[in-house]
Amino acid sequence: MNQNTDLLTLRSVSKSYGTVPVLHDIDLSIKDGEFLTVLGPSGSGKTTVLRLIGGLEPLTSGEIRLDGQDISRMPINKRPFNTVFQDYALFPHMTVSGNVGYGLSVRHIKRKEIARRVAEALELVQLGRFADRFPAQLSGGQRQRVALARALICQPRLILLDEPLAALDLELRRQMQEFLKSIQREIKTTFLFVTHDQEEAIGMADRICVMQAGHIRQLGTPHDLYYKPNCEFVARFFGENNLVAGKLGPVQGEQRPIETALGRLVCSISGQPHLKAAPDGARAFAAFRPEALRLADATDDGNRLYGTIADLAFAGSSTVATIMTGADNAAQRLRLRMPSRIDGSALKSGETVSLCFAPHEGHLVLA
Amino acid sequence: MLPRDRRLPLLVTVLAFALPVLFVLVPLAIFLVYSFFGVDQGTIVYTPTLGNYVRFFTDPIFLPVFWNTIVLCVSVAVICILLAYPSAYFLTTLKGRWRYALLMLLLVPLLMSYVIKIYAIRSILGLNGFLNKALVALGILHEPSTLFVFNMNAILLTLSLLLIPFAILPIFLSLERIPQTLLRASDDLGASGLQTFLRITLPLSLPGVASAASFVFVLAIGDFLTPQMVGGISGFTFGRILYSQFGTAYNWPFGAALSVALAIVVICAILIGERFGRNRGTSI
Repeated sequence: MNQNTDLLTLRSVSKSYGTVPVLHDIDLSIKDGEFLTVLGPSGSGKTTVLRLIGGLEPLTSGEIRLDGQDISRMPINKRPFNTVFQDYALFPHMTVSGNVGYGLSVRHIKRKEIARRVAEALELVQLGRFADRFPAQLSGGQRQRVALARALICQPRLILLDEPLAALDLELRRQMQEFLKSIQREIKTTFLFVTHDQEEAIGMADRICVMQAGHIRQLGTPHDLYYKPNCEFVARFFGENNLVAGKLGPVQGEQRPIETALGRLVCSISGQPHLKAAPDGARAFAAFRPEALRLADATDDGNRLYGTIADLAFAGSSTVATIMTGADNAAQRLRLRMPSRIDGSALKSGETVSLCFAPHEGHLVLA
Repeated sequence: MLPRDRRLPLLVTVLAFALPVLFVLVPLAIFLVYSFFGVDQGTIVYTPTLGNYVRFFTDPIFLPVFWNTIVLCVSVAVICILLAYPSAYFLTTLKGRWRYALLMLLLVPLLMSYVIKIYAIRSILGLNGFLNKALVALGILHEPSTLFVFNMNAILLTLSLLLIPFAILPIFLSLERIPQTLLRASDDLGASGLQTFLRITLPLSLPGVASAASFVFVLAIGDFLTPQMVGGISGFTFGRILYSQFGTAYNWPFGAALSVALAIVVICAILIGERFGRNRGTSI
């Protein structure tokens, strides 16, 4: 498995239902062995991407290539991919081992061989003891694992997961996330995981593909998406963020100022040529994370902001302050996240504060 | 006196239990009691006896007819299932409005008078009927055959035609209840269309098939009118014997005993249908 070769390539793939377009000219490459998450709000077309790859629906135009060969018209049962469905779609009249072995038995593999591989797969998903149960006798998390074992037993080139954790409660979802990730590392199969939950995406993915309204907005590592969002949508959708609108000033080396209603803010543009190339006066946003913002002391020389504290919310390990700034300290809302302290916050609601963030922790997003 | 607002629910509860008892269980019990009486010169003798049952089991006429009737009705059920399953399956492949429009069309015969339908079918099966004319025209027969009217074949064909709607409906409902994602999952795991049908669709629709079979069997075995009208002399069924005991023979106690035998078979058929109608509690 070479992480740098492309397993699957989508080339200008479009999909419409009747006259309603849901995907516009999608280009996407999935690398062999990676855990790729497709993230987007509902209606963004993420599930459609998965269904097109799985062969559950035909393309309207474009092509899908596997190892360089066009498989756009290959029927679903010939594609070397398997899907974990959102509602698991376990066969209710078969036992757990019947379900897991289904993909092998329709290929007329010998009974003994099936039994061996089913036992192996159930061991992998830690369900060895449940082989003879029926799906109705299992909990949600167990059904989930049966669905996973059923998909991976055929040794597919790619496993497609359609929001498989959506129906589980929070604690179980966390466990399953770790579990999925560890299984993916163990069997070294490519996973394509569709979700609307960005925390889930950050936790598991090697790369994340953010979709909105039938377009791919950004594709990159979770770190890239978090710190270098390339558009307002990604900056707002992916994690909590402070966005301040303004106009770009002249480039200063690896930094560039932006004139905003809150004053001039200097942000890093290192490694992002499109920000360097943007003309002076172009409309943009300064973007900085709540954890990058902190209370300023007299010696700080970063970007300075002033406002009043509107609200303090204790969230366990951290405390989030909502701060109103701008004209009359009411025009713009900012969030500041700081570690919680056992003796309570030094801040009080209604207090006027001076804040700052370092230029290298700020980022620019073109409007 | 109960408070006003609790009187109505109580009344409803009492009626819900009383009506079936009054109109179903009590008549059945009366029949059961009558089956132990005798008849002398056309009047019922009210002394308990097992004579009716002894006659049923020992007389050379009744048991063979009883058995032949069961075989006939099982055949009707099998024919109905074989014809209804493809129709019901075809219905589920249709989309939206068409599906229900066609289903209604298939169920329209249920709205028509039973007797008229039997007459219509009899004219199709008769010597100059559509079936004979078609077979002659196709060169399968040289001359019209009497094979299809006034015998067991006629009863078999007529009952099957009459009862098909009762088979289509439960099969259609069970097929429609199968979630589409199960079929997609089967495709996704590499199964061919035939494999998906044989291993997912068919097993999951068996409860509907079982209900359909027991429906058709029960309706067929209780029918005396159809055999009477298309069976002629050779098409003698248990229903006709039973009917004659209450009419021409005027032997109610013996008729009651035959009814009890029939009721036992019907109850068994319903229980078997019910047993296979449930899918081992494995639905999600």
